[in-house]
Amino acid sequence: MSKYRIMVVDDEKIVGDMAKMSLEQEGYAVETFLNAEPALSRLKEEKFDVVVTDYKMKGIDGMEVLRTVKKLYPETKVIMITAFANLDTAIEALRGDVHDFFPKPVKIKELKASIQRALSK
Amino acid sequence: MKDIFGHLRSIFGFLKRQTRGFAGEIDYLSFKTLFTRFRQVLDDHNRAIEVIADMGDKLGGDYLFDINYIKKAYSELSGAVYSSMQNFDVLTKNKYIKLHDVFERIDNQIKRIIYDVPASTGLVIFYDNITWDMPRDVGGKNSNLAEVKNYLKLNVPEGFAITTRAFDEFIKHNGLNEKIESLGNPPISPLGKGETLFNSPLGKGGLRGVMPNELHDLIINGEIPSELSAAIDDAIERLKEKFKGGLACAVRSSATEEDSEHSFAGQFETVLNVPLKGRAVKDAYKRVIASLFSDRAIAYQRQMGYEPGRSKMAVGCMAMVDSASSGVIYSTNPNGDGNTMIINSTWGLGKSIVEGQIDADFYVVKKDINPEIIENRHGRKESMIINLRDGGVNKIKTPDSMMGRPCLTSEQVLELASRAIQIEKHFRKPQDIEWAIDKDGRIFILQARPLPPFNSPLGKGGDGGCEREAREFSNATILMKDRGLVVQKGVGAGRVFILRHMDELDRIPKGSVLVAKHDSSNFVRVMPYVSAIITDTGTPTSHMASLCREFRIPTIVNAGNATQALKHGQEITVNADDGGAAVFEGTVKTLLMHADSNFRRMEDVYEFRRKRYILRYIAPLNLIDPLEDNFTPEGCKTIHDILRFIHEKSVSELIGISRAVSKEHAHVKLDLKIPAGITVIDIGGGLNIKPGQRSAAFEDIASIPLKAIIKGMLYPGVWHSDMVSLKAKDFLTSMMRMSDITSDGLSYIENNVAVASKEYMNLSLRFGYHFNVIDCYCSENARNNHIHFRFAGGATDIVKRSRRVELITNILKGYGFNIKTKGDLIIARLANIRQDEMENILDQLGRLIAYTRQLDAVLHDDGAVERYSRNFLKENYGL
Repeated sequence: MSKYRIMVVDDEKIVGDMAKMSLEQEGYAVETFLNAEPALSRLKEEKFDVVVTDYKMKGIDGMEVLRTVKKLYPETKVIMITAFANLDTAIEALRGDVHDFFPKPVKIKELKASIQRALSK
Repeated sequence: MKDIFGHLRSIFGFLKRQTRGFAGEIDYLSFKTLFTRFRQVLDDHNRAIEVIADMGDKLGGDYLFDINYIKKAYSELSGAVYSSMQNFDVLTKNKYIKLHDVFERIDNQIKRIIYDVPASTGLVIFYDNITWDMPRDVGGKNSNLAEVKNYLKLNVPEGFAITTRAFDEFIKHNGLNEKIESLGNPPISPLGKGETLFNSPLGKGGLRGVMPNELHDLIINGEIPSELSAAIDDAIERLKEKFKGGLACAVRSSATEEDSEHSFAGQFETVLNVPLKGRAVKDAYKRVIASLFSDRAIAYQRQMGYEPGRSKMAVGCMAMVDSASSGVIYSTNPNGDGNTMIINSTWGLGKSIVEGQIDADFYVVKKDINPEIIENRHGRKESMIINLRDGGVNKIKTPDSMMGRPCLTSEQVLELASRAIQIEKHFRKPQDIEWAIDKDGRIFILQARPLPPFNSPLGKGGDGGCEREAREFSNATILMKDRGLVVQKGVGAGRVFILRHMDELDRIPKGSVLVAKHDSSNFVRVMPYVSAIITDTGTPTSHMASLCREFRIPTIVNAGNATQALKHGQEITVNADDGGAAVFEGTVKTLLMHADSNFRRMEDVYEFRRKRYILRYIAPLNLIDPLEDNFTPEGCKTIHDILRFIHEKSVSELIGISRAVSKEHAHVKLDLKIPAGITVIDIGGGLNIKPGQRSAAFEDIASIPLKAIIKGMLYPGVWHSDMVSLKAKDFLTSMMRMSDITSDGLSYIENNVAVASKEYMNLSLRFGYHFNVIDCYCSENARNNHIHFRFAGGATDIVKRSRRVELITNILKGYGFNIKTKGDLIIARLANIRQDEMENILDQLGRLIAYTRQLDAVLHDDGAVERYSRNFLKENYGL
């Protein structure tokens, strides 16, 4: 069976690098992007099983990524992470059909568990 | 007689010192204000320590974090430190104003990481000042060595780096830029089939635009720019000061790519035993930087895929070790199973080994908790290299008496092995380490660089591994589970060492699991050597806890009765993770193999390492012991040090201020069943009495610490009102020391004062000839809590007095006090203790004070110390 494909979009390199390191350890194929534009072009070429995206980014933000993903692949799950967590952003994300929502710093164990849940649904 | 007066003087001197800085009395109201400042210092301290603990956790490899987290956390931390310093300044009347400069310096370092400001190095930089972000400035070799020196704190010769900026200046000054650029494009492809470095056109020269060795020669004959020349002269002078007595240095290459992915071993020049004189060092400097452009080095760089014109050469100048023996360690044996290392050694300088001496000594050492020599071969060592008196080195025939004799003792081999394990653990890769042992037996690390990768048998485990692991895991007998708080996650195995007294710390065998009743920052001394720590009491935010996180020692605190449940010498495995703590019987190898793997993997992520580096300026604690010389503002290297300094000095300051509080204000006599004659100055919530009431009963005491200590003093049987009979000599001594020997029947009016609030107490007691100061903060927050106990004086001769010192020290040690004694002065400190335990200890202290009031009069022999200690602990208080 081919590996599950996971995309991580965050404008800080450390987040993508750390996520890649820990998720590859679980056997996922991981691609990371520092901003949304190239990530969205990549999505047009290929389907990912889970997209983990930062909420607040320069240019296209996480909500826009969520909408595009859902339009292209309704079954792909999106996990939103943000440093600026408040109730409003959480509600906004949930209305946009987000699979999960984490304030940063994100416990890697919890992110992994969330991805597993996303894939088993 | 003179001695007796001298002694009296010293006692009064001791008391006088307590009030230093507050000459005369201070009024009640200003004391209340100062006390408020003290409490603010405590609050800020707590807030800051919590942030440090959180940062340690979030930056520990288990969380995805970004710079926003670091910014937010640091802004909270620096805010707390700043506020703490403001209050501290008021409390100490600006006595430690230098602390602001220290904070600013550390703050700048941290902000450089947060805001990605590149380091600005000069032409020359000493190893002490080289930091994480300087490999491009000082080269790989210097950078690694500085790390070994500054972070691992291993012995590295004093020295300085001449930076790549100096190299640029030199090249520019001599107009060599163009020639160097012309090296950029190789005229031919890398080595063809059958070609080696030395028979290919590459190795034979043939560089477009530059004649063979031309650049090399131009550099040798080049001129050192005057600014660089002056910087080197200055550094030489400073090195001479640091390295007392030494007159020579080794000048080594440290190219920007060297010792990183590719070792460049032996490609560049090293000049040994260079006299510490401007001219000699500069000539050696030119020889080393010129070696970057030797044909051989250029060929090597091309073969490894580097563009020769782009490499830069920094240089290291380090004090020359007068080696008795030296050699090389491969921290992982390339031909082994990953669990062994090899050590080569020879007489004199290690140059011969690096150059391939074949008859050196050879050891294979098992990399274990306690390393073990599993193979040794002692070579003839026909020749050796020695330093010449006027500079340079020479190969000589080894004297007959040394030829064939091993040049290391087994202890030295094992010591070297432990250091190699430490270095490998730190750099996370097998290391090629050069070392030397000088004629005084001191080990120096001269170089540490990664070994080229080889197929490690580690990490080969197939899928069957998990199942096996689960089976082995489930078979292990659980000794303790779900008890205590995890301070540092991880797995550690070893034999239990139950620490009863702090004196035993030096006797802990390496690799032990340290089990103690209380936590203590003094454990830092053994942290590099123990495999785990468990304490019965303690909090995850204590100083010790931060140290355990720094050293990544699996640690569990507040485990209840570990000192009872575990047996001294028993082999155990400690597993501390998210799910809590568990202790297994024996060594559970599978657990150990996976220990810390998440962190180790993350450490391979450059960005993670880089951001995590910030913790080095925040979390480590260098100011361990307040009685050591480095306990100064200048000794503070991290934010944690600053906090520790402020906290400790605030407490000392408060003791001084409390003693100076005027007794005229709001004092109330304690009306107790014993004639202790204690007057209380209530600074808020200390007593529960009506306004204007001038005396208070035991029940009226609201101050938690005062109540606890008085409770102890009132314990049935501890206060002996009968005068103990003094022998004739004691009597005479005491008559000369004090006028009123019979005062015990009376109250000690005016002698005994307690300054108290709900949570604070400063109690000064004078019973006849004994002076006692107990300063204590006792609240719900364990981190705020401290007891400082000082004791001096006695009526009898010095032998009996020292017996009492021994007795009190014995008992205090049992409660985990950190103790210093000087003559018959005892200074004992204890901190970070839970309130219920504090109250218990204070109760015991109360009993101890009452019990030992006259005890020295009956301590006729050394056996009595033991006897009375035992009696005290058994609550048998008869004299």
